[in-house]
Amino acid sequence: MPQPLQQAIFQPAVEPMQVDAIPEENDNIDEINYVVENTTLDLEQYAAQYSGLAKLNRLLFISDHCPVLRVEALRMALSYAMTTYNTSLYQQIHRKLSEAITSAPSLPDAVVGAIYSIPALDTQWIETTAKKAALKLEKLDTDLKNYKSNSIKESIRRGHDDLGDHHLDCGDLSNALKCYSRARDYCTNPKHIVNMCLNVIKVSVYLQNWSHVQSYVNKAEGTPEVTEQKDGSQSILKCAAGLADLATKKYKSAAKSFLLANFDHCDFTEILSASNVATYGALCALASFDRQELQKNVISSSSFKLFLELEPQLRDIIHRFHESKYASCLKLLEEIKDNLLLDMYLAPHVSSLYIQIRNRALCQYFSPYLSADMGKMAQAFNTTVPALENELMQLILDGQINARIDSHNKILYAKDIDQRSTTFEKSLAMGRDYQRRTKALILRSAMLKNQIHVKSPPRDGGQGGEMSIAPGSASSARN
Amino acid sequence: MVYGKWNFAQLCDFISKSGDVLTKNASHLDNVLATLDIQQHSLGVLGILCVKYNLPNIPDFETLFVQTQEFILSCNGEHVRYATDSYADLCHKFTQNLIERKQPIRGIGILVKAINKIQLFSAQLTSIHSNLCQLCLLSKALKPALQFLDFDITDIGKEGGHYDTKDFLLYYYYGGMIYVALKNYARALYFFEVAVTVTSMAVSHIMLESYKKYILVALILHGKVPNLPKYTSQVVARYIKPLCQPYHDLASSYATNNPVELRAVVSKHQEQFNKDTNMGLVKQTITSLYKKNIQRLTKTFMTLSLSDMANRVQLSGPQEAERYVLHMIEDGEIFATINQKDGMVRFMDRPEKYSSATMLLQMDQEMQKCIQLNEKLKEMDREIAVNPQYVQKSLGMHDDDLPGTSMKGQGY
Repeated sequence: MPQPLQQAIFQPAVEPMQVDAIPEENDNIDEINYVVENTTLDLEQYAAQYSGLAKLNRLLFISDHCPVLRVEALRMALSYAMTTYNTSLYQQIHRKLSEAITSAPSLPDAVVGAIYSIPALDTQWIETTAKKAALKLEKLDTDLKNYKSNSIKESIRRGHDDLGDHHLDCGDLSNALKCYSRARDYCTNPKHIVNMCLNVIKVSVYLQNWSHVQSYVNKAEGTPEVTEQKDGSQSILKCAAGLADLATKKYKSAAKSFLLANFDHCDFTEILSASNVATYGALCALASFDRQELQKNVISSSSFKLFLELEPQLRDIIHRFHESKYASCLKLLEEIKDNLLLDMYLAPHVSSLYIQIRNRALCQYFSPYLSADMGKMAQAFNTTVPALENELMQLILDGQINARIDSHNKILYAKDIDQRSTTFEKSLAMGRDYQRRTKALILRSAMLKNQIHVKSPPRDGGQGGEMSIAPGSASSARN
Repeated sequence: MVYGKWNFAQLCDFISKSGDVLTKNASHLDNVLATLDIQQHSLGVLGILCVKYNLPNIPDFETLFVQTQEFILSCNGEHVRYATDSYADLCHKFTQNLIERKQPIRGIGILVKAINKIQLFSAQLTSIHSNLCQLCLLSKALKPALQFLDFDITDIGKEGGHYDTKDFLLYYYYGGMIYVALKNYARALYFFEVAVTVTSMAVSHIMLESYKKYILVALILHGKVPNLPKYTSQVVARYIKPLCQPYHDLASSYATNNPVELRAVVSKHQEQFNKDTNMGLVKQTITSLYKKNIQRLTKTFMTLSLSDMANRVQLSGPQEAERYVLHMIEDGEIFATINQKDGMVRFMDRPEKYSSATMLLQMDQEMQKCIQLNEKLKEMDREIAVNPQYVQKSLGMHDDDLPGTSMKGQGY
């Protein structure tokens, strides 16, 4: 049996998961080493929301960051991997699982009995699956060749798509991307184009190639007639765009994109679940929207309300934030933080989103006041006065709050800016700048007129001699 | 008059040609000098003095010094303007000899006189300017140079048809150093910027040193290094910047606002800074970082205890913080009062309300300056617009008859 063996040797060399892992590590090097201890995540329910690679990736991400759920997550991933053609990922998961089990001896005895058995590596399955996959690949290839020789556009497109699906199923992302992109030349109507874009977006999301995602979202949205279609594609596009924005830290546009998703068509388990949309959208909106926007686009949005029902905690957080109950709002946020850290797309941004939300809350808290007692303010934000002072200082320096701190009496005063004086100051500075630049230009024109410029050879010797005097005089001048 | 002009030009020519003859008869030069009257025969005296300075070793410098002094004080400006190159040469040699004899201060008054005599107007740059600055720096008597430095140069003197770039660079380099020594950093920065932005095809050491000082002065003044103007030569970006890595490190550590980091960089590159004799400026950048941090505090706090302040800007203790605040209040860099009883500093806004008469006067002066500059620009623009060469070029060379006629059109 030479072929399956070859396949088995060949596949690890390709390491489809490697493609996934490298960019992720580069993206968030500082985030990679955290460990989540207390989570209320129901793994079973969580995993059921996803299918395909999304499920595997998410389970693997949890297993990397949450030692409590590691074994369970890997076990689930392992059994799910067996329903695909992705043999290399199966082996990888298996390796991780056995490592996890052997390196976790401190489990309570009762649990050990249930968990301790390492499932044997199903070599039989690997061989047959690899063989099946190869056969299917061969069949799809020949099919495609046939279609091509008959040059029926529609069949060729479908052939490419099928081939792409198969590669994806095997975990070979780059080839899948190639096949899906090739289908592009055979698209005959807008629906096909959108379909092709969605396929490419899906693979690009797995590859975490966000600029690619963004450009294909734009391409799909630019296709005529796509806006009239009432199927889920519009929502998927919005979510993909939101995800790409989130990954590239454009939180505001991410929030806007997620808010436009339609609950009824929110069925794209291969990328996101509906509750993900709720979480991402809500957090991004909290971090980047002002009060009016929050009220208009989030709280009174009938479509997003349905999403928020899936995440009642977040709904409460948003309402408390809007009602200016910052202490309880921030406390609730802190409670769900651990769960959020187990989300592979959100995790790198959790801390910066939290900081932004907190800063926004601080700004909003102070906005109606002329002066505020910092003791009360610290209470409202669950913090101490010195810590609050530091936070406020940073905000003032960043220009987010226009205020000054009376450190003696611990009072924050709104700063009244004298527009007249600042205008005078600015115009004076501008005038000085103008004078300086103009003088330099006049001098320069005189310089050019007299052909003053540094040329290379004859001058060097003379300058060396001159310079030995110059630094000496420099030091003496300063003493 | 026309005849006279021609005559002087010919005389210059003759004198420069007879240099060899005069050198051969060096011993009789003083006798020749005695027969000439400085007022009437300025060119002749100039020629002889130049030859005397060119001798391999000067036998009696004191006599020569007196002779030069006398010549510069009482020569005929009209006459010597026919031989500006020899005149400048005389001043260069004179300076060099004074420096060799370590008596720089003796030459300052004479050179001031010399510049005043040869300048057509006070905004004209001569190559003697750089000599004066050098002497001032060496003798640590900086004020005499200011009367020239404070004038913005709009024209450059033609000295025998060419003006040495080295003198230009040196003038702006020395000038910048003089302003640094007098703590007029804004002007110093301008001078260094001019030196750095000279059109160049090769790396000049003067430019390199100017660039180093430019970075330091910019940090002291603005807390960051501004971008150089667009017309800066590529040489600066390509060759000079890589040579100044320690200074760039310094600037980037300064940008973190963390004095500890800045000090680390300073001690890491100490050798280089010492070698460049820029250590004094580097130390000033450290002080300026503390000051900048205190200024940042004034933006955020109304009151702050001295110990808290020392903590936040990482000074050693309340005493040092008090010292800094005191100096900054005295220099008008911040507006604050210190309450010594409870050790609190109360920061205030700028008291300037821009409504006093003096302020209005100052505004008016600033505006006048801008208007004058604008006028100057317009004038220069007009000059170019009526320049036959420019007109010919801008209309294209295809028709030979056209430029003449169109030039008239432009002129009137």
